[in-house]
Amino acid sequence: MNKKNPLTAFLGNEKWQWLSIPVFAVVLSIVAGSVVMLLMGKNPLAAYVGILQGAGLVPKPNYAGGTGMLTDFTSFLDALAPMIFAALAVTVGFRAGLFNIGIAGQMLLAGFFATLLVGYSDLPWYLAKPLVLIIAVTAGALAAGLVGYLKHRFNISEVVSTIMMNYIIAYVTSYYIKSYFVNPVSRQSEYIQPAASLTLKNLRVGGVRIDVSIGIVLAVAAALLVYYLLYKTRLGFEIKAVGANKQAAEYAGIHIGKTTVTAMMISGGLAGLAGATFYLGHYASMQPGVLAGLGYDAIATSLLGNNHPLGVLLASVLITTLDKGATYMSSKVGVVREISGVITSLILLFSATGTYIRYRVNRQRQEQKEQQEHREPPEEQSASPAPGEVSAQQVEKSREANLKEGGDEA
Amino acid sequence: MKDAMISIRNVTKRFPGIVANDNISLEIRKGEIFALLGENGAGKSVLMSMIFGLYEPDEGDIWIKGQRVTDYSPRQAARMGVGMVHQHFKLVENYTIAQNIVLGMEPVKKTLGFLPLVNLTESEKEIEALSHRYKLDVNPRARIEQVNVATRQKVEILKMLYREADILIFDEPTAILTPQEIEYLLEIIRELRENGKTIILVSHKLEEIKEVADRCAILNRGRLVDIRDVATTSTREMANLMVGREVMLEVNKPAPAFGEVVLEVENLRVKNQDQVEVVKGVSFQIRGGEIFAIAGVSGNGQAEIAEAITGLKPVTDGTIRLNQVEITHYPVRQRNLEGIAYIPEDRQAYGLILEDPITDNLALKRYFQEPFSTPGGKLRPEAFVSYARRLIDTYDIRSNRGEASITRSLSGGNQQKMIIAREIEQDTPLIIFVQPTRGLDVGAIENTWQQILREREKGKAILLISLELDEIMALADTIGVIYNGEMLEIQPASALTAMEIGAYMMGVKEHE
Repeated sequence: MNKKNPLTAFLGNEKWQWLSIPVFAVVLSIVAGSVVMLLMGKNPLAAYVGILQGAGLVPKPNYAGGTGMLTDFTSFLDALAPMIFAALAVTVGFRAGLFNIGIAGQMLLAGFFATLLVGYSDLPWYLAKPLVLIIAVTAGALAAGLVGYLKHRFNISEVVSTIMMNYIIAYVTSYYIKSYFVNPVSRQSEYIQPAASLTLKNLRVGGVRIDVSIGIVLAVAAALLVYYLLYKTRLGFEIKAVGANKQAAEYAGIHIGKTTVTAMMISGGLAGLAGATFYLGHYASMQPGVLAGLGYDAIATSLLGNNHPLGVLLASVLITTLDKGATYMSSKVGVVREISGVITSLILLFSATGTYIRYRVNRQRQEQKEQQEHREPPEEQSASPAPGEVSAQQVEKSREANLKEGGDEA
Repeated sequence: MKDAMISIRNVTKRFPGIVANDNISLEIRKGEIFALLGENGAGKSVLMSMIFGLYEPDEGDIWIKGQRVTDYSPRQAARMGVGMVHQHFKLVENYTIAQNIVLGMEPVKKTLGFLPLVNLTESEKEIEALSHRYKLDVNPRARIEQVNVATRQKVEILKMLYREADILIFDEPTAILTPQEIEYLLEIIRELRENGKTIILVSHKLEEIKEVADRCAILNRGRLVDIRDVATTSTREMANLMVGREVMLEVNKPAPAFGEVVLEVENLRVKNQDQVEVVKGVSFQIRGGEIFAIAGVSGNGQAEIAEAITGLKPVTDGTIRLNQVEITHYPVRQRNLEGIAYIPEDRQAYGLILEDPITDNLALKRYFQEPFSTPGGKLRPEAFVSYARRLIDTYDIRSNRGEASITRSLSGGNQQKMIIAREIEQDTPLIIFVQPTRGLDVGAIENTWQQILREREKGKAILLISLELDEIMALADTIGVIYNGEMLEIQPASALTAMEIGAYMMGVKEHE
């Protein structure tokens, strides 16, 4: 346990942990996925190539008429946009110490209002498209802002209120979609006007059909903007301080309530954009009463990206690749689509172990260090629970530390 | 010797920088109430922790019921009949009293002949019988969250009795009780003795020791000063033994030069989160260049005074004025800007964001101002770095990776240096120090004291809240003694002796 472990040394370098740990988690998951494929008697390499081919990142052996690798790739980008927005929404929440599980609901609400107010109107594209974005941001921000307010004012856990709101939003919007603008054949909402769509569908380039996503440009810009917000601005400093230690933030004079609500509104606004690019872009229609699974996958994506906006960008690419490539992979390798679902889930599962890996690595390093320092008392507390969590171990440790400090407090 | 329930023989326990227990030997006899008296940091808790198996002695042995204990742990202690009533209750809020008492040794009954289910019916009866026998009446079916503090304590006691402990350690049991509840508890303790239990009472309240204990050991700075028969020793004598000592550190304190009144607190009233009034009409003022120290036993309202002045706790009544400006209801940020620096007691919970680098923490009260931010709200990282470097240099903050080090990785002493550096650099007319040297070693303590005195020289008004009498005697110009939320006495430091302060801290009136 205490011998110098090269893996510990590699992953222990704090400067590079933001990158090395997620990469390690992904490698682990690919290995685990391979084991599953091997158990099924399939070639894992073929499976992984199949995933890349399905996502348009590697050419397929042949294409149907009018389609090409570019078709798959643009479709992949189109699906990537909402994932980036949604994962960024989770990231901003996490950084403020808030667990926004309501992304799916906020997406749905934003998509609903944008569809209702602009999607079926005759507005020209230069009005319709910006309006969609504005309405989506507003709807998402207000829905999430309410959660932030409830949290601050009444100390209602955002986890509970966002989950509840997800269902309220799903059923209320479902009622209106079914009552007023459902397509009787598809049982979805009617398709929106192309002028309002954030994806330019079925353009032809060199004889190949492509979908041009406006959302992906906005999403990448949003990632950079969130990075700038969190690391380069005063507001970002305050959000992170509140997320990391609420008491210290209050002590420093930061207004907890204002910061909580603001962070939640930013998170909700990003979720709203995810909704816009999802319902008024990739799909151009809404399925009544269904919460997008993407709203939940985004949580894992954010964790995989280490809750860092640029890491989230990379993680979104990975998760969307798996998602988009799964169908093609299953037909190519000859496994049912559910197996590709298993692989995706394995990757998500391992991606969530990043925090645990970091904890183990840092603890091991800690122990090695302590051994060198001749049983000095542990002044550093290596356990680093996620923001908002209180680990019993840590409480215990600090209690011990207090005792050791020789103060038997009355 | 024969009837010794616990025998401690030449026990020494060291922690880095301090000797918590220095060659202590004592014996506790069967059926007595044995009090352990001492100030904060005297080593009472450490000694009890060793009896209870939380710590192992570095030297010496502990014998329990004539048996030398080796490989000792709390579990082992419980098996040998040692029970501890902790100062901070260890109860599950949403469990019933009976559930809490049986927790860890739940009676399991095979329902329908095979299903092992917890059956509480009999335990409830047992607990009722126990509680009648020791006059600890509780309703075993009530939930902990529904019952008050005194009842919770009864549950802690019942927990020990249910486990058939015959040596009961009470760690500061009266700290959180009202006077009536204290009376009742002392009655219960006597009752337990009548039933043949051996009681160890850890306390620094002289009066209750006088009232209930048979013998009393006095600890001072880790050493056993004396063991006395309580019946033949006056409280005054006990206080002298407890406090009396030579001054640990020499500080060179120049003559005071007081300026204008900086802080004026009038009739301050503050409630804690349970809506209990813990500061009851306190008034005092601090002049520039004056160190005003609030002495008192922990939990008598001094922490809340600091929180009320800094804006972390709302004021229910009274006024706080800083340089003639009323700040009673200002938000925290405005008070800081108005001129308050604050070194909080809990440096890890309040003073620092442990996961963040040194740079961010040193700028925690300045990040929103020039040059750290532009008026538009953009941060200037280079300002954070250069500021941190300057403070690290000036205040000798040691870390492994310079200003980029994560604060958690620093030692406690260096974390405290960071806070003191940050607050002193705010250059405010008022600085509040709460327990500034808690947990620091002698060198760091001296350093901190020098810093406080330097700020005094600069003409700052300083509020020092400390549980260490030494610190107060060494630094204060004026001393206010707080007891039970009231300022019992405010005097120039020169007019008070440590004994007198000690007596006031215990709530002993002037003419006993």
